[in-house]
Amino acid sequence: MNGAGPVLSGLAALVYAVILAPIIVVVTLAFSADSFILFPPSGYSLRWFQALAAHAPLLSALWLSVQVACVVTLLSLAVGVPAALALAKGEFRGKDALTGFFLAPLLLPTLITGLALLLFFTPMRLTATLPGLVLGHMTVTVPFVIRMMTTALSNLPHDIEAAAATLGATPFRVVRRVTLPLATPGLIACACLSFLLSFDETVISLFISGPRASTLPVEMVRYVEGRTDPLIAALSVVLIVATLIVVVAVERLVGVARAIGK
Amino acid sequence: MSYLELAGLQKRYGGSVAVDDVSLSVEKGESVALLGPSGCGKTTTLRMLAGLIQPDRGTIRVDDVEITRLAAHKRNMGYVFQSYALFPHLTVSRNVAFGLEERGIGKAEIARQVEEGLALVRLDGLGGRRPRELSGGQQQRVALARALVIHPSVLLLDESLSNLDAKLRDTMRHEIRSIQRSLGITTLFVTHDQVEALTMCDRIAVMNRGRIAQIGTAEDIYERPATRFVAEFVGRANALPATRDTEGKVVLWGAAHPVAAPPQGAFDLFVRPQRMRIVSASEPTGGETVRVTGRVLRSVFVGDHVEVLVEGAGGQLAVEMPSGTTAPTEGAEVAVIWQAKDSLPFACEAA
Ligand SMILES: Nc1ncnc2c1ncn2[C@@H]1O[C@H](COP(=O)(O)OP(=O)(O)OP(=O)(O)O)[C@@H](O)[C@H]1O
Ligand SMILES: [Mg+2]
Repeated sequence: MNGAGPVLSGLAALVYAVILAPIIVVVTLAFSADSFILFPPSGYSLRWFQALAAHAPLLSALWLSVQVACVVTLLSLAVGVPAALALAKGEFRGKDALTGFFLAPLLLPTLITGLALLLFFTPMRLTATLPGLVLGHMTVTVPFVIRMMTTALSNLPHDIEAAAATLGATPFRVVRRVTLPLATPGLIACACLSFLLSFDETVISLFISGPRASTLPVEMVRYVEGRTDPLIAALSVVLIVATLIVVVAVERLVGVARAIGK
Repeated sequence: MSYLELAGLQKRYGGSVAVDDVSLSVEKGESVALLGPSGCGKTTTLRMLAGLIQPDRGTIRVDDVEITRLAAHKRNMGYVFQSYALFPHLTVSRNVAFGLEERGIGKAEIARQVEEGLALVRLDGLGGRRPRELSGGQQQRVALARALVIHPSVLLLDESLSNLDAKLRDTMRHEIRSIQRSLGITTLFVTHDQVEALTMCDRIAVMNRGRIAQIGTAEDIYERPATRFVAEFVGRANALPATRDTEGKVVLWGAAHPVAAPPQGAFDLFVRPQRMRIVSASEPTGGETVRVTGRVLRSVFVGDHVEVLVEGAGGQLAVEMPSGTTAPTEGAEVAVIWQAKDSLPFACEAA
């Protein structure tokens, strides 16, 4: 007897079917030959992919999103990893309070964060700018990086770092030569996930994007407000494929399970 | 003043005391075992020595320099962890080289010393492997080489042999002992295995509940245990409930014995099973011999000896006879004799 029973397996299959069904619809629509959304399509073609390649607003939004996500990821790691190191390895008063403080934004609805950022950024002229978007996204990704890396770092075997210390490595050298190399799988996974988080971030972006600069999710929302053709489905397929490539690459590189700290 | 001096070391965790008032002097080149049951504070003591835990009280001095508050990386102590704690992302050579690299030694010199270190633990040629590609015993030797190449002021070994099988453990014991002797390294060896303590060390400190119960040579500890705990923990012993007569002599199983009883309180007589002999019930005995009679319950062949369980008026006792001698048959009436000086009275613990 191994694995779940037939009832449980059937239930799992059903849940997956419900989750995956819309994706199948989207993928089917992407290859539609119709001029509007019709399911199932009356014919199949690549015309919407060609249309996408010529659609300047969406392409520039895609480019902006990639830029924002890259900068956000680098900055979040630069801020979050040292913080996680301090929280996981340090011994100081108020550590628990600080941990709670850093994780609190994860519990705050992004709707509220977005509104607050809008009120805060407008007088500073940061709305609809690259720095504004980056800062906005970092309110989500930094707590996430801190949380994930604190877990990953706490799970490292303590004795290995202690061994490095007894061999004469200063605390800084221990981090550089032992802690970070051992945490590399977690770091890679963390970087990928925070890239995806930023790339996918919609609610905050809606508040602080403008006509001058809007990220891809925002531009997609705007597009479907006005039009009802399968162009967005084609774009979705492109994004799904790109995401899958990243996930498979990470899985190949480090193993997602290991990266998440299991 | 000795080379390594621990004075009044104490460590508390919340309300409980992990190590309580531990004082110990170790001479240069000496090997001392910290022997004790699980949770008695051995690892905590060792970690305080290495600077991995801060003691709440007490001082640590090495070579007349106080290092109680010195950071771990400045202590130059070789620590072999129970888990080996090898660096999984580095090759065996780089593992051994780690401490030398941190000391800023030149590449060629490091290569030479790593070579030497690996040869010392007989791992030549395995330098290119990763730790996970080694057996437990090999990993252990890498950990030992890594701690030795830095020429530590003190070598600390924490139950470093407990993950090995009996045969390998025996080999490693002798290897470590001979390396320790030939290099003259001051060593503290934590173990809860008494055979290990007896074979590997010049002196043994028996620990119980965060305190050192007795320090001495293997013979001291075994022949003249200072407390009931030491008598029970080191080697095997029969604890025979006894009483005293009006002259202050011990009464055991209803017969007076030529042994002085402690002045007051309930007590047990401790006798090692190997010191007892079984003779026929009719055989007479001399003055300095203790003699009790009973019936053989059963004899068990245990390989290197035969264990005979004898039941008498006051309870049961176990006798170890050398294998090869014929054990008495079950149910036989026998006398058990031993030298009076082998009887050690210890007060019963307050219940
Ligand atoms: N970090 C800690 N927090 C709280 N209590 C601790 C901590 N470390 C050790 N202790 C307690 O201190 C006591 C001594 O622990 P220690 O690890 O020194 O025992 P030990 O003699 O090495 O035992 P073993 O043979 O099982 O390794 C134990 O009762 C343990 O529960
Ligand atoms: Mg221990």
